[in-house]
Amino acid sequence: MLRRVAGHLYWAARYLERAQWRARLVDVNYHLILEVPPRAADPWEPLLGITGEREPFAQRYARADEASVANFFTFDRDNPSSIGSCIEAARTNLSSLRHMISSEMWLEMNELYLESREWTPDTLARMGFSAFFTQLRNHFYAITGIVRSTMPRDMSYDFLEIGTMLERADNVARLLDVKYHYLMPRPGDIGGPADNRQWAAVLRSASALEAFRKLYGNSIRLDRVVEILLFDPNFPRSARFSVERLSAALDRVAAGGGVSAPALASDRLLSMLRTSGAGDVIVTGLHEYLLAVERECAALSDAAYAEYMTVD
Amino acid sequence: MDAQHVGSGMPVTQALTALERPMNEMFDDEGRARPECARVANYLLAMEAGRLAELSEQAHRMFLRMGVTFNVYGNESGAERIFPFDPVPRIISGDVWANLEAGLIQRVRALNAFLADVYGPGEILKDDVIPRDLIVGSPQFRHAVVGIRPPHDSFVTVAGIDLVRAADGRFQILEDNVRTPSGVSYLIENRVIMTRIMPELMRALKVRSVEHYPADLLASLRELAPGGGSDPTVAILTPGPFNSAFFEHVFLSQQMGVELVEGQDLACVDHKLFMKTVHGLKRIHVLYRRVDDDFMDPVAFRPDSLLGSPGLTAVLRAGNAVVANAIGTGIADDKAVFAYTPKMIKYYLGEEPIIPIVETHLLRDPEVCAMVLKDLDRYVVKPTGASGGYGVVIGPRADEAELEETRRRIERDPAGFIAQPVVQLSVHPTLAGAGGATLAPRHVDLRPFVLLGAKPRVLPGGLTRVALREGSLIVNSSQGGGSKDTWVLEN
Repeated sequence: MLRRVAGHLYWAARYLERAQWRARLVDVNYHLILEVPPRAADPWEPLLGITGEREPFAQRYARADEASVANFFTFDRDNPSSIGSCIEAARTNLSSLRHMISSEMWLEMNELYLESREWTPDTLARMGFSAFFTQLRNHFYAITGIVRSTMPRDMSYDFLEIGTMLERADNVARLLDVKYHYLMPRPGDIGGPADNRQWAAVLRSASALEAFRKLYGNSIRLDRVVEILLFDPNFPRSARFSVERLSAALDRVAAGGGVSAPALASDRLLSMLRTSGAGDVIVTGLHEYLLAVERECAALSDAAYAEYMTVD
Repeated sequence: MDAQHVGSGMPVTQALTALERPMNEMFDDEGRARPECARVANYLLAMEAGRLAELSEQAHRMFLRMGVTFNVYGNESGAERIFPFDPVPRIISGDVWANLEAGLIQRVRALNAFLADVYGPGEILKDDVIPRDLIVGSPQFRHAVVGIRPPHDSFVTVAGIDLVRAADGRFQILEDNVRTPSGVSYLIENRVIMTRIMPELMRALKVRSVEHYPADLLASLRELAPGGGSDPTVAILTPGPFNSAFFEHVFLSQQMGVELVEGQDLACVDHKLFMKTVHGLKRIHVLYRRVDDDFMDPVAFRPDSLLGSPGLTAVLRAGNAVVANAIGTGIADDKAVFAYTPKMIKYYLGEEPIIPIVETHLLRDPEVCAMVLKDLDRYVVKPTGASGGYGVVIGPRADEAELEETRRRIERDPAGFIAQPVVQLSVHPTLAGAGGATLAPRHVDLRPFVLLGAKPRVLPGGLTRVALREGSLIVNSSQGGGSKDTWVLEN
C-alpha cells in the first residue's frame, strides 16, 4: 500500500471518529441541561475545555451560549474540527482512494457529506437537537457497520482501525480529564442527584451508560466511571479496549518486520493501561495520569505517521 | 411513424424545424424515425407526459450520489460538478459502426507510426511529406525523448478521436486526442445509469457492452511491460484531486485494481521507477499517466513541476519502465499536423483514409492566411497547441470586437492557428426547456476510444457530447456541454 494512501485512510478514520465524538458531546450536553438546571452561568462553556478550543472559539464568538457553541461544534466551516469540517475532511481523504474502500462505504460517506453541505446555522433549530443528532448518529453507525461488514481485513482496514482507535483513546482521556476537573471539587454535591446525573452524562457522552449499569447497577461512583472508561478490557469505547485494537492493527501492519517505533510506543501505552486500576490512579493523581495517556497517544501518532505514512 | 408529442410539451416536428440544415440523427426530414432509431422513438413517444424529465432527475440524483463529478478550472465555489446527462440515447447502427471502427484503427495506427518515425528515423520528414520545421520546431515536439522506443512501438496506447457528423450524414474527424484523453469513465457510468432508468429498452435492443473497457485498458498496458515481463506492476499517475478529470483517474484505478499514484509517491532510483509503500519502495513497470508532458520530469521538462518524478525520462531511456501514452505524443494531435493526417495514412499504411477529416487550413501559409482573414466570420479558428475547446473562436457566432481581436492574434503569429469551415454538427433529440419539459434538437459529437497495445481494441460507441444550449456548437464539458449514452447495435 502507498504511504500517502495509508495516511489518507488514517486521517479519514480520525476525522470520522472526531465528528462522532463532537456530535455526542453536543447532544448529551443539550439533554443534560434540560434535565438538570445548570449551576454555571454558561453551561455550554465547559465543552470548549474538553476539546481544548477555548481560544479559537473566543476569537470569533462573543459568548459561549447554546447557539454559539452548538454552531461552533457542528456547522462552523471555519472551525477545522467542527462536525461539518470533519465530515468534509474525511470525505476528501477518501475521495482519492475509492479503490481501497468498499463502494458501499463511499456511497454512505458521500451521502453524509452531501447532507452536511445542506446544513445552515438554523438547521438545528429547525430539526430539533434530538432529530438532528439521531439522524447523524445513524449515519455514523451505518459507516461503521459497512466498514465492518464489507471490507476485507487487510491493510486498508488496519489503517482505518489505527486512526479510529487512536482518536477514540485520546478523546476518552480528554473527556474524563475535563469532567473530573469540573465535576469533582464540590463537596456538597458528592453523591447527590445532580452529581449523579452529571456523571451519567459523561458516561452517555462515551455511549457507556448502559454498559455501566450492566456492570455496576445504578450507583454511579467516580472510581467505577474511571474504571469503565479507561481500563475495562471489554467495553468498546474504553481507552484500554481502543489501544488493544490499535496495537493489534499495528502488529498486523508490521507483519513480523521486527521492532518498530510505533510498536514500542503502543506497547508502552498498552502496558500503562493494562497494569493500572481506577483506585490507584485516583490516589496518585488522575489528572497526571490522563495527561500521560494523552502524551503517549500523541507520541504513538507521530511514530506511526513517520514509520508508515510520510512520503518525503 | 408520425412525429407526435414526446414526453410533454412541444411536438417533435416543431422542434425539428427549429434548426433546418443539420442532420437529425433520429428523424429524417419527413419526421419519420430512421430505421435503427425506430424502437427508441416508439419508446419515447409512448411515454407519459413528464416521465422522461422524471427519469432525467433520477439519473441526476444517482450521479450525485455516486460522486461522478468533474472539476471546473477557474471556478472556486463548488468546484465539483455533475457532468450534465441527457437520458435520450444516441443510436449507431452495427454497419455504420463497423466502418467507423475500421477507420479509427487505421487512423490511430498511422498516428502511432508517425510518432515512431519522428522520434526515430524521421523518414517522413526526409521524404518531405510533412515540413520538418512544422514538427521539430513545434513546442509539442519533445527533443528529450528522441530515440526512446516503447515496446511494440506503442506511443499512443489510448486515443480519443473526436468525430462529427456533417449534414450529409457522413462522419468526419474533427480532431485527435492522443495525449491524455479523458471521458471514458463518464461513458461507462452513463451506461450504468441507463441500465437502471431504461432497462426494458436496453433489453429490447441488442446494445453492445462497454463495461469491458477497464479490462481492455489493463491488458493493453500490461502488453507494454518492459522486456516483455509477464507480471508487470501497472499504476496510474494523476496530477491530484484538483485536476478536472480526477474522478476518472480514481474510477480507472478502482476498475483496473491498480494503484493511483501522485508525483510525491514516485521515486526514480538506479534508473528504475518505484512507488513509496508502507513497506518500502515497490517497482512500477508501466505507468498510465494522466499528467501532461511538461510536468512529467522536472529534470527534462519544467523544472518547477512537482507532479511527475525527477529522472523519469532517464528511466524510460534505460528501458526499465514504460509510460503510456508516451511522452511527446502531443506532436501527433497538434492541430496544424492534423491537416497532414490523410497523407500520413497513405504514407505509412499505403491506404486511403476510411474516415475523412474536416477541411483544415494552415494559416502558416501566407496565401491561405489571406484567404481566411478575408472571410474570418465564416471560419472556426483554433490555436494549434491548445485542447479542451480553449481559445476556439467560431466566426459566425463572434461579434466584431472578437473577430478583430482574433485577426490581430493571427497576424501576430499565423503559424499558431488553423481555420476550419463551420461544420454543421448533427443534432439529436435532447431533453430541454425549463425543468426539462420538451425534447429539442441539440448538436452532438462523438469521442470513441481506441486502445493500441500489442493489438488494437476499440470501445463500441464512445462518449457522445451534447451542446445543451440551444444552437450552441461547443460540446466540451469545460464549456457547459453534457453527454448522452451511445448505443452501438449488434448486427
